[in-house]
Amino acid sequence: MTARLRQSPTLAILAGLWVLLVAGIALLSPGILTASTLTTILQFSSILALVSLGQALVILAGGAGIDLSVGGIVSLASVLAMMAVSAGLPATLLPLACLGIGLALGLGNGLLVTRLRILPLIATLATFYVFSGSAVALTGGAAQSGVPAAFTPWGRGALAGIPLPFLTLALPLFLVAGVVISATSWGRWLVAMGDNERSARLVGIPVDRARLIVYGLSGLASGAAAFVSLAWLGSARPNIGQNLELTSLTAVLLGGVSIFGGRGGVAGVLAAVLLLVTLQTALLRLNINTVWQVGIVGALLVAVLVADALTTRRR
Amino acid sequence: MPTPLLEARGLTKRFGALTALSGVDLDVNAGEVLALLGDNGAGKSTFIKVLAGAHAPTEGTLTIGGTPVAFASPQDAANVGIATIFQELALSENLSIAENVFLGREIVRRVAGVPFLRRREMKDVVGRLLDELDAHISDPDAPVGSLSGGQRQAVAICRALYLDARLVIMDEPTAALAVAETRKVLDLTRRLADRGCAVLLISHNIADVFEVSDRMAVFRRGRKVAERRRDATDPEEIVSLITGAHPDVRALDKQQ
Repeated sequence: MTARLRQSPTLAILAGLWVLLVAGIALLSPGILTASTLTTILQFSSILALVSLGQALVILAGGAGIDLSVGGIVSLASVLAMMAVSAGLPATLLPLACLGIGLALGLGNGLLVTRLRILPLIATLATFYVFSGSAVALTGGAAQSGVPAAFTPWGRGALAGIPLPFLTLALPLFLVAGVVISATSWGRWLVAMGDNERSARLVGIPVDRARLIVYGLSGLASGAAAFVSLAWLGSARPNIGQNLELTSLTAVLLGGVSIFGGRGGVAGVLAAVLLLVTLQTALLRLNINTVWQVGIVGALLVAVLVADALTTRRR
Repeated sequence: MPTPLLEARGLTKRFGALTALSGVDLDVNAGEVLALLGDNGAGKSTFIKVLAGAHAPTEGTLTIGGTPVAFASPQDAANVGIATIFQELALSENLSIAENVFLGREIVRRVAGVPFLRRREMKDVVGRLLDELDAHISDPDAPVGSLSGGQRQAVAICRALYLDARLVIMDEPTAALAVAETRKVLDLTRRLADRGCAVLLISHNIADVFEVSDRMAVFRRGRKVAERRRDATDPEEIVSLITGAHPDVRALDKQQ
């Protein structure tokens, strides 16, 4: 419960910003405010939400944890899985291939960090280049078409205006992650090792194994995002993961997870993802130059961090 | 004399060229408070870190209840009943008191292998332990980050109590405490020993040591230079042993 209390200022700030944003849109261009815009926002949110969830776990677990390779994993997993299907893998195994490749790449990161003791920032920067470079090199930069038609109804479908990938994958995973973090031993260990790794080791928490698993989960989440992109777009694009490392990082920090670990939760991250995508969609619809979009997202991050620092000091 | 709970023989710990601990023999008995005294850098902290499994000794042996043991980790030490309350209290500020007491060994209900916390039960246990300690902490769900130094000490002691430790090692438990809190921690230390626990207490405060301990061992420059029963010594002698002014210690220092 205490974790929830500490999280609530962030959630309140994010909700307030979202209301402000929607009010701004209503004033400037009320025509945008339709149910289909909401569907679009949630559709675009699904991939970022999945990737941000993995990123949040990695950062929460502390030890200077960060996963810069998430975008590379999304690109490489979708490309490799598609190539496997083209090479004769049964089409029904496409989702499993995405997840398996994502998990394997994530565990690779985890091994670099926990076994070789390479700083996560550097280890995942290196694998980011390896993964995203391989995705482009393997395909010559061309999109791989031919996603089995059986998957696209799920990837493009919606129930009551809510896209199926968001409703049936991203949202449930956030709920599961939220429950695991707040209500199980595993979640408490994660927060404890993020907060004070020395004490976590002293009480016998298997810190290295937990960290390995967390990087694996981040890869798994990116693999799931890769499958969402395949089912949505109908093809594997070698650059689909571009910029996801930065936007997911922004969403996680905006969502109230401390970059030092051990503080924050996933509810804020989901709220931040929705805020970010709403903002980007609105700016796009208002025909604002993409250069400004990046600056505005940055300004938003600074504003939330300042607000959070101020409320933390007061407590 | 019954077999000591813990026997250390010839314990030596070197860090490269530095010998932090040199050939220490020491017994700790169940039901007694044994105080370790010595100046900074005398080797007390290294000694307890070896007992706690945080450092592996370079040489020497440890036996617990007559059985030789070797610790690869603090977890190994905890498994044979050694609980250590480190000077830098091993607590997570973001977790609640109850979560800290149970960290690493939570009471859980497994659902499909997933360990769900039994918060109510853990809160009750911690509430009882805190009452027993008279710690004046009303809410076991409060985050440890909001507690005073003495209250944190109480949380760490709660942890040791919950573990049903046979040997509790306390590193400077009263160093940062107010007078009333120091009283409580000393009372508690005594109570632990009366329950049959062996307590190893590191302290710089001679008055505290004389109040609570049964025996004292003095460390100097990585060696154990003296061992005294409380009723066979006085604060002046102990101070002279610590500072090296005592004739016995001077003789030892000359030998080196």
